[in-house]
Amino acid sequence: MAFTRLASLLRNLLHKRREERELDEEVRAHEQLLADEKISSGMSPQEAHRQAHLELGGVEQVKEQVRETRAGHLLETLWQDVRFGLRMLRKSPGFTAVAVLTLALGIGANTAIFSLVNALLLKSLPYGHPERMGTIYARFTGPNGSDELAGIDGEMWELLRDNVPSLVSAVSGGTSGVNLRAGSQVEYVQNGRVSAHYFDVLALQPILGRNISEEEDRPHGPKAVVLSYGLWRNVFGEDQSILGRTILLKNEPYTVIGVLPQGATTPLNASVYTPLQPSREGEGSGTNFQLITRLREGAGWQQADAEINHAWTILALRLEKNAPGAHVTYHSVPLQKGQTDSLRPQALALMLSAAFILLIACANLASLTLVRMFRRTPEVATRVALGASAWQIQRQFWVENLLLALVGGAAGVGVGFLALQGLLLQLPEHFLPVANVPLDGRVLGFTLVVSVLTSVLFGMLPALAAWKSDLRSSIADRTVTRVGSPGLRQALIAGEVGLTIVLLAASGLLIRSLIHLETLPPGFNPNGILVAKASLDDAHYHDPAAFRKLLDESTAAMREIPGVLNSAVGLSLPYESTLNDGVTFSDGKEAGQQAGTDVVYVTPGYFDTLQIGLLVGRVFTNADGPNAQHVAVVNQAFARKFYGGTNPVGRYINRDTVIVGEVTDVPISSNLYPVAPLMAEQTMYIPAAQVNAGYLGLVHVWFQPDWVIRTPGPIAGLPDEMQRALGSADPSLPVSGFYSMKDLMARTLVMQRIEVALLGSMAALALLLSTVGVCGLVANMVAQRTREIGIRMALGSSVSQAMLEVGRTAFGASMLGVVLGLAVSAGALRVMRSVLYGVGVYDASTLATVALMLVFVALVATILPTLKIAKIDPAQTLREE
Amino acid sequence: MAPDQTNLLQGTLDMMILKALALEQMHGLGISRRIEQITRATFQVKPGSLFPALHRMEEEGWLVSSWGESENKRRAKYYKLTNAGRRQLEAETKRWGRIALAITRTLEAS
Repeated sequence: MAFTRLASLLRNLLHKRREERELDEEVRAHEQLLADEKISSGMSPQEAHRQAHLELGGVEQVKEQVRETRAGHLLETLWQDVRFGLRMLRKSPGFTAVAVLTLALGIGANTAIFSLVNALLLKSLPYGHPERMGTIYARFTGPNGSDELAGIDGEMWELLRDNVPSLVSAVSGGTSGVNLRAGSQVEYVQNGRVSAHYFDVLALQPILGRNISEEEDRPHGPKAVVLSYGLWRNVFGEDQSILGRTILLKNEPYTVIGVLPQGATTPLNASVYTPLQPSREGEGSGTNFQLITRLREGAGWQQADAEINHAWTILALRLEKNAPGAHVTYHSVPLQKGQTDSLRPQALALMLSAAFILLIACANLASLTLVRMFRRTPEVATRVALGASAWQIQRQFWVENLLLALVGGAAGVGVGFLALQGLLLQLPEHFLPVANVPLDGRVLGFTLVVSVLTSVLFGMLPALAAWKSDLRSSIADRTVTRVGSPGLRQALIAGEVGLTIVLLAASGLLIRSLIHLETLPPGFNPNGILVAKASLDDAHYHDPAAFRKLLDESTAAMREIPGVLNSAVGLSLPYESTLNDGVTFSDGKEAGQQAGTDVVYVTPGYFDTLQIGLLVGRVFTNADGPNAQHVAVVNQAFARKFYGGTNPVGRYINRDTVIVGEVTDVPISSNLYPVAPLMAEQTMYIPAAQVNAGYLGLVHVWFQPDWVIRTPGPIAGLPDEMQRALGSADPSLPVSGFYSMKDLMARTLVMQRIEVALLGSMAALALLLSTVGVCGLVANMVAQRTREIGIRMALGSSVSQAMLEVGRTAFGASMLGVVLGLAVSAGALRVMRSVLYGVGVYDASTLATVALMLVFVALVATILPTLKIAKIDPAQTLREE
Repeated sequence: MAPDQTNLLQGTLDMMILKALALEQMHGLGISRRIEQITRATFQVKPGSLFPALHRMEEEGWLVSSWGESENKRRAKYYKLTNAGRRQLEAETKRWGRIALAITRTLEAS
C-alpha cells in the first residue's frame, strides 16, 4: 500500500500535466453525463446543462477537492510557497540583500570560530582509541591551589616508567632544527626527540622497520632515527632499502630503523625522530619532558592514577615540604585536554564574541523582518479577505524565512571558510596542536542549525508576535501609518549597540596591551640589525675549541661585508626566549644562596652591535678567553633583584666567576617567571669563549644561536653575504632563517597579535552591523512617517525640527545602548585581566574612546537617512492624502 | 441539512463504492446512481465527495481506471475493482458487520 502511494506520488509529481488534463476531462464528462440524463428525462437541453452544472458544484471546486486528496499535495503547495517566497524576496532586493549579508557575516564569523573550536576541542585526536590516551596533571590543594600539567623531569619519568604497569608511557623533549646529511644532500629538518614506546602510545606502526627500542633509548645507547613518510619520500625517493643506512644528523651517524606511515602525525610534527635517551642528568635534571600515556588493555584510569600517586609519593612529599599546608595528588586527564588547555580560554572567548555578533545580526534581522511585515500588511489583509487561512499566511512567512536562512547560511559558510583560511595563514607553523582545521560535517551541521535558529527564532517570532496583534486594525486602513511597535525596535537597537560596546572595549584593551608590549623601552637599538639563525646541535661543536673557532671566523668574515659596522653571536637575542639556569652567590651576605636567572653566552661584540647600554664596569673583550678569569656581565634587573640595586661589579658568583659590568635591561620572552609575554628579567651574560663542553652539548639542543650584524641602513643582498660569510667558516652550516628585530618581536607576540586581529575584526563587524541597524531603523521611520512629516511641514514645521523629531528615537535608543554596554563592560571585562599588560581593566581612556566612537557612529547613522526629509514636498504629500 | 444527505463517514463511502463496483466496472455517475439505487436514495453521493474518494482509492491500489464509452456514446472514465480492492471490500464488510452488531446490541440493552 505504501508502495502504491509512493508510485502515485511520483506519478503526480512527474506527470502533473497529464494528470491534470485527465482530471479535467473526467469531471467535464461527468457533467455531460448528468446533462444527458436530464435531457433524456425530458428537460430542455439548456435547462439540463444548467442543472447539471449546479449539481456538480463547479468543475474547478471538484478538481481542487480531488487535488487535495492526492499524494504529494503538501509538497506541491510547499513548492508553490517556495516559488512565491523567492518571487517576494526578488521583489524587495534591498531587504533580501541586507538580510542575507547580515546572516552571512554573523554566521560566517560563527562558522570560522566554531571550526577552530571543533578542531581544537571537539574533534578526537587522529590516533587509534584516543579515549585511552592521556597525560598527567598535578593537583595542589591548600592556600595556593592549582590543577595543571605536571612538569616531568628525569626522576619522575624513571619512576613512572618502572612503576605504573597500567600505562604505556612515553616522553618527548620537543623538536629542534638540525642539519641532516645523506650523501651529498644537506637538509635543515625538525628533529623530534622521543623515548621508546612513543609511537606505541600514539598507536603508530612504522610501514618500514620498527619503533625506537628500549636499548636505543638508554643514555649513550645506539643512535637510531625514524623518518617521517614525507622526508622518506622527498629526500630518499621512497627507497625501500633505507633500513640500516647511516645518515648524518647534527654531524653524527644515525642508523635508519623505521619509516612512519603516510599521513601519520604526532604532537611534535617533526620530520625525523631520534631517541630521547632520558636520564636524571642534564636535560632530565629539570622538568623538560612532555608526557603522553596510553591505558593498557584491561586497565582502568582509576587504577592507573593510584599507581601514579604511589610511584610519585616521594615527589609529592618533597613538594608538600616546600609548600606548607599544600596537599599534592596526581591524576590522568585526556590527552586532548592536556594539549589544548592553554588555548581553551581564548577559544571560548572567541566563541562568546562570535555569539555576540550573531545576537547583533539577530537584532538587525528581527528589526528588518518587523518592518517588512508591516509593509506587507495590506497584501496580507487582501489575502485574508480572499479566504486565505491564518495557517496559509503564516506558512508563507515561515517558508520565506527559511529560504533566507538557507541562502544566508550558505553565504555564511563561504564567508566563514574564507575568514578561516585568512586566519590560518596568519598563524605561524605548528602554532595549533592539530594538523588541520577542516570544515567537516559537524561544522556544517552547526552552521545549518545556527542559521535556521537565527532566522526562525529571531527573524520570525518577534515579528510575528508584533504583527498578529496589529493585523486586524490595519485591514481597515489601506496604508500603514504607524511605526510598527517602536518600543521593540528601540530595544533591539539598544541591545546591539550595547554588545558592540562590549566587543569594542575588549578589543580596545587588547590593542592597548599590544601597543604597550611593542613599545616597551628596548634598552638597545633595534634598527639596522639583521639576524641569522643556525643550528649548532652538531657533534663537531660540542668541542669548545671548534665552537670558538667558528664564532671568531664567522664574525670576522661578517665584519668584512661592505657596510657592516659590527657583528656578534649570542645564544639568544632581545624579544627571544632565553635559557634559564641556577646561579650560586659566592660572597657578601648573599653567599651560598641560589637563584634562577636567564643566561646568555655572547661574543665580545654583542653589546656594541646591539647597542645595549653599559652602566657600570666593562663588557667582554677578546682577553676573556677560555683560560682567563671567568667573568660575567649582569643586567639592571639582576643587580636590583639580587644585590638590592648596589653595584654588582667585583662580586663573585658560581665560586670562580666575577661580575665585571652591568648593562641595561632588554625585553625578553621569559620562561623563568613569566608575568607578561615580553618583560625585563634578571639576566647574566657570559663570554662564549668560556663556555664548557657539557654546556655546549646541552644548550644547542634547545637553542639556535643568533648571528647579528649592524648596518647603517638597508643593504641589498645582505642575507646572501651573511650566508657566504658563515659558509667561509663552515661550508656545511645552513642558515635556518633571517630576521629583523621586528620579526623576532612579532614571533614572540604572535598570540597577542592574533587575539587583536580576531577580536578586532569581531568588533569591527559588530560596529558595521549595528550601524546598519541604526540606519535601517531611522530610514524606515522616515519612510513610514513621510505623510505625517509632510503635514507637519505644511503646518510650518522646519526641516531640522522634523529631522530632530524622527532621529531622536533612534539616537536615544543608541545612547541607551552605549550606557548599557559600558555597564556590562564594567562587569564582564574583568575576565580579561590575565591577558592584559600595561593597561587596567577599567581603562578610562579606552572606554571613553569606545563610547565616543559609538556616539559618533550612531549620530552619522541617524543623520544620513534623515537627510531624505529635506526632499519631502509638503504639497505633494497633501495631494496624496 | 436534509436527512437523505447524511454526511457519510469516509470509510462507509469507500465501502459503498467498492460494493457498487463489485459486479461490473462503472463510471462516476454510474457509481453514484448505483449507490442511490441500492440505498433507496438514502445516500446521494455528490461529485465533490465522489471524485476525491475515487482518486484516493485508486492511489491506494483498490481501483484501476480506464477510458471507455458510455451507453449513449460519451467518453467517460471507468473504474474497476482490483484484487486488493476485493480484499478491502471483504475486510470492510466484516468490520461493518461487527460494528452493526455491536451497535444493535447496545441499543437493545436496557
